[in-house]
Amino acid sequence: MSASERDQPAARRALGRAGESLPGGRTVGLAAGAAFWAWLVVRWAALWLGYDEPFVPSGPFEALAEGLHDDARIIDATGGPLAGAADVVAGFWFWFSDVARFLAFSTEHLPALARGAWLTVVLTIAGILLGLVIAVPLSVARVYGGRLTRGLALAYVELVRGTPLLAQLFVLYFGLNLSQYFRGLTGGLLPGIAAWVAVVGFTINSAAYQAEYIRSALESVDVGQLTAARAVGLSRLEGIRYVVLPQGLRYAIPGWTNELVYLIKYSSLAAFITVAELFFQADRIAGNTFRYIDMYGLVALFYLALVLSATAFMNRVERRVAIPGLGVDSER
Amino acid sequence: MTALGAALGAALGGIETAVGVGAGAIQAPPTDWGFIVENADYLLAGAVVTVLLTATSLLLGFLAGFPAGTVEVYGGGWLRRVVRTAGVLLRGTPILVILVFAFFAAPVPLPSGSVTVPFPGLPPVDVGLSAFTAAALGLGLRSAAYQSQIFRGALQSVDAGQMEAARAVGLSKLGAIRHVVLPQALRRSIPGFQNEFTIVLKDTSIAFAIGLAEILTRSYDLFVQQTTATLEVVLFISLVYFLLTVFTNRTLDYLDRRYAIPGGKG
Amino acid sequence: MTDRDAGTAEASARPGPGTDPDPLLRIEGLRKSYGDEEVLRGVDMALDRQDVEVIIGPSGSGKSTLLRCVNRLTEFRGGDVFLDGESVLAMDENDLRRRVGMVFQDINLFAHLTARENVTLGLRRVLGMDREAADDRAMAHLKRVGLAPQSESYPAELSGGQKQRVGIARALAMDPDLLLFDEPTSALDPELVGEVLGVMSDLADGGMTMLVVTHEMGFARRAATTLTFLDEGRIVERGPPDRLFEAPERDRTAEFLRRLTDLSEDRDR
Repeated sequence: MSASERDQPAARRALGRAGESLPGGRTVGLAAGAAFWAWLVVRWAALWLGYDEPFVPSGPFEALAEGLHDDARIIDATGGPLAGAADVVAGFWFWFSDVARFLAFSTEHLPALARGAWLTVVLTIAGILLGLVIAVPLSVARVYGGRLTRGLALAYVELVRGTPLLAQLFVLYFGLNLSQYFRGLTGGLLPGIAAWVAVVGFTINSAAYQAEYIRSALESVDVGQLTAARAVGLSRLEGIRYVVLPQGLRYAIPGWTNELVYLIKYSSLAAFITVAELFFQADRIAGNTFRYIDMYGLVALFYLALVLSATAFMNRVERRVAIPGLGVDSER
Repeated sequence: MTALGAALGAALGGIETAVGVGAGAIQAPPTDWGFIVENADYLLAGAVVTVLLTATSLLLGFLAGFPAGTVEVYGGGWLRRVVRTAGVLLRGTPILVILVFAFFAAPVPLPSGSVTVPFPGLPPVDVGLSAFTAAALGLGLRSAAYQSQIFRGALQSVDAGQMEAARAVGLSKLGAIRHVVLPQALRRSIPGFQNEFTIVLKDTSIAFAIGLAEILTRSYDLFVQQTTATLEVVLFISLVYFLLTVFTNRTLDYLDRRYAIPGGKG
Repeated sequence: MTDRDAGTAEASARPGPGTDPDPLLRIEGLRKSYGDEEVLRGVDMALDRQDVEVIIGPSGSGKSTLLRCVNRLTEFRGGDVFLDGESVLAMDENDLRRRVGMVFQDINLFAHLTARENVTLGLRRVLGMDREAADDRAMAHLKRVGLAPQSESYPAELSGGQKQRVGIARALAMDPDLLLFDEPTSALDPELVGEVLGVMSDLADGGMTMLVVTHEMGFARRAATTLTFLDEGRIVERGPPDRLFEAPERDRTAEFLRRLTDLSEDRDR
């Protein structure tokens, strides 16, 4: 179908290459990322061992918040010639108090968010790896297949890319009641049956998108490469396997980075089929405490940290596997 | 159903869904596909909301994203830093989080009540204003962050010699951007825009989280009442999405060809 | 300007380069550097009206930069450039560029516009002409470069030589006092060079003042009033082309000219 036969437009590719990072403060970003991951890993280990209390008690922050709030009220009440200045100072003090309140709230709920983040990470990695397993043959079929295999691969890709992921999860979970097949599989990496359904959904979905990235990467490998491989005496399949794929998969890395980021963010949709991942936890806490702004803001920071880590990691991978002298394209 | 109910209750944040599924809207069907036929109007009315939301979000995304992309290429200083940072934040956060944030923590008060949109051949479509506004705001700003990258890439893909030649004729920098660089960049951004179009269309389904009565929410409201028809309902709405994406892709393909520069790749 | 046809006669018939007390273009002590790298280290020259000055020099010698300083596509550090006695630094840059046309090595036709629209863009947006007058003028100039039949073609539909002729028409239509040519034929296939040089020679014969960076020695001999050899940001030698070809004062000039001549003979073979 025309929409996907088109090459990934340059703009999209540039987007993949740009590798999201916040402007300025590279070392600050690295330090923050390292601290985040150190905390997350220790937190996961603690949860694994059954310790789900916060590392830092929230009490002191609450006390601080209240203290600051009281001070702010007193400053605010100052009259006389200094009333204007006092209002400004009080404004800052109220804001400090809010920050302390936010910190108290955060520390209290960080263990639950870490638990959710674990599922988010597992769902993402499972989805992208299992998706890759399907995507490689799918993309090879799209580029080198006969009429029938090409048509089937195309139909799969277009159907999946033409419908929302949420509708796909609905089909699997509510429509096909897929969870009945995973009854025995609770505990371990994926607590809850629904998480297995989510993995199936993400795999199906991601395979189609990855197939498109890999297809356009394969097509960007010069046709002469396969001809030369055949000339050396390799079979067609061997030529694809040993010459075209090793080059094409490298070109696919920017697309792969996009896909990883996409899965991290869209794994949040698993919440709608009862998977207790990151967003689910945040939403539950927000609903119970009615502190929507704080909780959604905090969970946004979590996702941001995951996304920025993923792009930083993928940029590293890209540099590591780069072929000397063969710049992966579109660096302007 | 209990676990599901709890999850969705949480997802909806205890907000009344303002969907208006009157019990009368649903009749007892002879078969499950018959159930679809009888409720097709109700679902298609949801598709109208989906299309409205897509169009509004894309328009908002263009109005904010186009200047943002221009600033990223030609701007400087703090303005460019602000635009880039906002872009990274919006692109790094799930649209689900953005939507619930827009709904529960919008910086401006959301309008309340609902409006009824008449649509020929369909029952009047009730649109909850607060959910629609929040959804359009969230989807629109997120789309702006992506559209800015499409336009940035397209602007940067126009050869630097074009700008130089325009300046050499005596055009000002602004005139050169307006008459020489932009017309070429806009043509080149059509394929990227096509991607963005389908992404926004599909992501309108996530407005389910804030109870907007678009087509996916309506399908949910139907199949929780008629659980034997669940598969039929979700397959039907998937088909509607598929047809919508194919139709828009075809239309944009046509535009791409129609406005291509003769002899060139654009 | 019939005296152009006889190169030797002209050199003696005309006053030496820059001796006119009121030259059209005067460059004084021009300096320019990119970072630490000094590209122009004090260049002086003057062009009278109807002069055709050809600049040669190895790549990186500062030829293109020199041209770009004249219409301020590049801002320079030291020295000054005067157009008709007025410093270009004091002029509005868009006004300056209206008076100084430029033809590029990589041509840079506006890719989204037809040949005619390429010419009318500046006429309409810079000179403020109405559509009809701009069209008439564009067609006249396209006719002058022999491209009236191609006026509705887009750049991608034209050959390299045709494109460059449109590029010349685009610059010419603005009715400039001075035309700058930055290696106008070096991006072209050899068989297309002739048609562009032909147009340039006609312009020279018509009395256009031109500052041309090129390595086409045939054109230099035929059309130039002055030949300048630029190397490492300095003028090595400057004078009537015949004198430089026959009796260069510097060894470097001689060697460079010999290499250029060999090259073009190689190509002609």
